[in-house]
This record gives sequence, C-alpha cells and structure tokens, in this order.
Amino acid sequence: MLLSVSGEKAGLVVDLEVATDAAKTGDAGVPHGAELLAFATAANRRSDDLAQARATLEAVVGSEGLLEAAATVAIFNGLVRVADGTGIQLDPSMLTSTVATRAALGIDLFKGAASTIGAPTEPRQDVNGVQGLFA
Amino acid sequence: MGNVEELIDSVLAAGASSLVAAGDWLTGTQRKAAALEARDARTNDLDQQRRRAISPNAVSGGHGSIGDLRAEAVEVVHRIASDPGRITRDWADQAIEVLGEETYTELVGIAACTATIDMFAWATTDRDADLEDAVAGEPTNERPDGVGDVGAWVSQSMGSGMANVSRSLSLVPVTNSAWVGLVQAMYSRGPEFLDLEWKRALSRPQVELVAARTTAELECFY
Repeated sequence: MLLSVSGEKAGLVVDLEVATDAAKTGDAGVPHGAELLAFATAANRRSDDLAQARATLEAVVGSEGLLEAAATVAIFNGLVRVADGTGIQLDPSMLTSTVATRAALGIDLFKGAASTIGAPTEPRQDVNGVQGLFA
Repeated sequence: MGNVEELIDSVLAAGASSLVAAGDWLTGTQRKAAALEARDARTNDLDQQRRRAISPNAVSGGHGSIGDLRAEAVEVVHRIASDPGRITRDWADQAIEVLGEETYTELVGIAACTATIDMFAWATTDRDADLEDAVAGEPTNERPDGVGDVGAWVSQSMGSGMANVSRSLSLVPVTNSAWVGLVQAMYSRGPEFLDLEWKRALSRPQVELVAARTTAELECFY
C-alpha cells in the first residue's frame, strides 16, 4: 500500500508482483529496485550471496543508502513478528483500500489474514481515528 | 551519514540493553534467555521441521524450559521467531491462558526486538548482535491503565490515535518503549512518516520496496 502510494506520488509505475515475488526479476519500477530487492532477499534469507548483494547495493545508493536498506529489512523483521504474534487487525481504512491488491498478490491467503478477514469481530480502529504510526 | 548512523546505533544499543535488563513481567535473566532462544530458532531442528511441515502442528515434540524460563514461554519465543506467519489465534489463546497476556505480549516483544537487532547486524556485518550479561533487577509487574480489547489477541491501549500496529505492545510499557525506539529510528522517524516524499539517502518508494519484499518473504498479511 505505502509502496504504491509513495511510488505514485513520485511518478513511478510500481510493479507489485516483482516487489513481492522473489522468483520474478526486475526493478519493480523503482530506481535501483533490482539491487534493493536482491539485498532484501539475501538478507532475509541470510544467503551466501548477501555480501555480494550488499556491495552491489552500496555501489549504487552509497553507504547511507545501504544503512537505510538494512534498517528497513531489520525493522520489518520485527514488525512482522509483532503483528502476527499479537493478532492485530488491519486498520479499516487500509482494509478497504487494499482489496484488489491483496487479491491480486494472494496476500489474503496468508494465515495472518484470519485475524482480520472472517474474524469474530469487525476490524476496529482507535476512537480518535488513525493519526499516525509511532508519530 | 553521521546523524543517521548515530541514531540507529544508539537505539540498537538501547534495544540490546533492554533485552538483558528487567522488563515488565520478566527478569533480565529471563529476557536474555528468551532472546537467545529467539536467535536459536533460526537453526533449531524442531523449528526447522515445523517450518517444512504443511502445518507446524503436524510435528510432535516441544521445547523445554531454559533456566527459570518456563517451557511454554520458550515455545512462544520459538514460534514467534521461526514461523510467525502461521500463528493462529487458538495457539496464542492457549499460550496466553498459561502465561497470562502480559507475559505473552512481552515475549512477542522480545522476539521482535531480537529479530530486528540481529537482522540489522547480519545485514551489515554477517553476524548477530552482541548481548551483554543479564542485569539484576525486578520487573515492574504493572499493567498499564487504559488498555482493553481493540480486536487483537491481547489487550492494547485505547484512545491513542495510532494505527493498530503502533499500539500492539502497549500492554507492556517497558518492552514497548524499546520497541518503539527501534521503529522510530529505523523507519518512521516521527511525523516524517506521514510524508510520502522522504529526504533520506533512500526515497520513500525505495524504502517501501525493501519493506514489501521483506514482509512478503515472511508472509505477513498486515
């Protein structure tokens, strides 16, 4: 969702299938996307090509870009575990705005979807509305 | 680069320190044991068998207690660390019934912080992060006011105006403080999060691309 809207804001046509499927190749429509995706996959899998992927990425985005990419991989490893471990529901606004994307990418088939889709209670959000994320 | 590097380094150090210090309902010794079990889950035989099985419940056996960290707690940490995408409400409810929702939530936070800290170290240096010796002290043993049922498996804060993921560990304030520090420094950076055009070394779409691939690798619906 945030990839799509931020890409649109930047004038990019983002390919979400390439973004989310490691079996597909390409840059997903994002500058240096191929290098970023190769690094993210190698880091998440702790695969033998991580050092090469790291060096290749640093060559195109610089050392601070590499740092930001590593930080993103790392924090989403935590966010996934927090979300799945506490069974939080997708916020209603996000749920309604991502119907087509989730269906197209098969995300509704993930086990964690059961916390939101078909759950005993409708997705709820804060009584004050969502005003930010850790802001 | 100095500011970003220093910002991330400082929260990683604080996060690592929190993993060995007394928390909400667990001691520093218990928290460090849980963190090491979360790390062990990457290569643990039982966890790998479960990962390969069509259902983790198809594999018999379980994890035993470690020191004064009871077996049910060890089990929670291993599952959160190794196979978060296939956790079910029934499984969580059983664990919560035994451990209590506060301790369960603290264990989720420990597994998440460990995953974050170790992954950053691995992504940048091919090794896990260093953890200091456990620090003596007593947990706060305090359930915060203003938490309740907001549709998740555990109680969370009500009235904060934050997205559900932002309040997911609000039941355990000590653990949540370290966790939110990590998220702030490594991703959201306060009000900047709401801006779709970041002035960072990576653009917002580049950051979200890395995030999308990571969540897909871990099969996370949220």
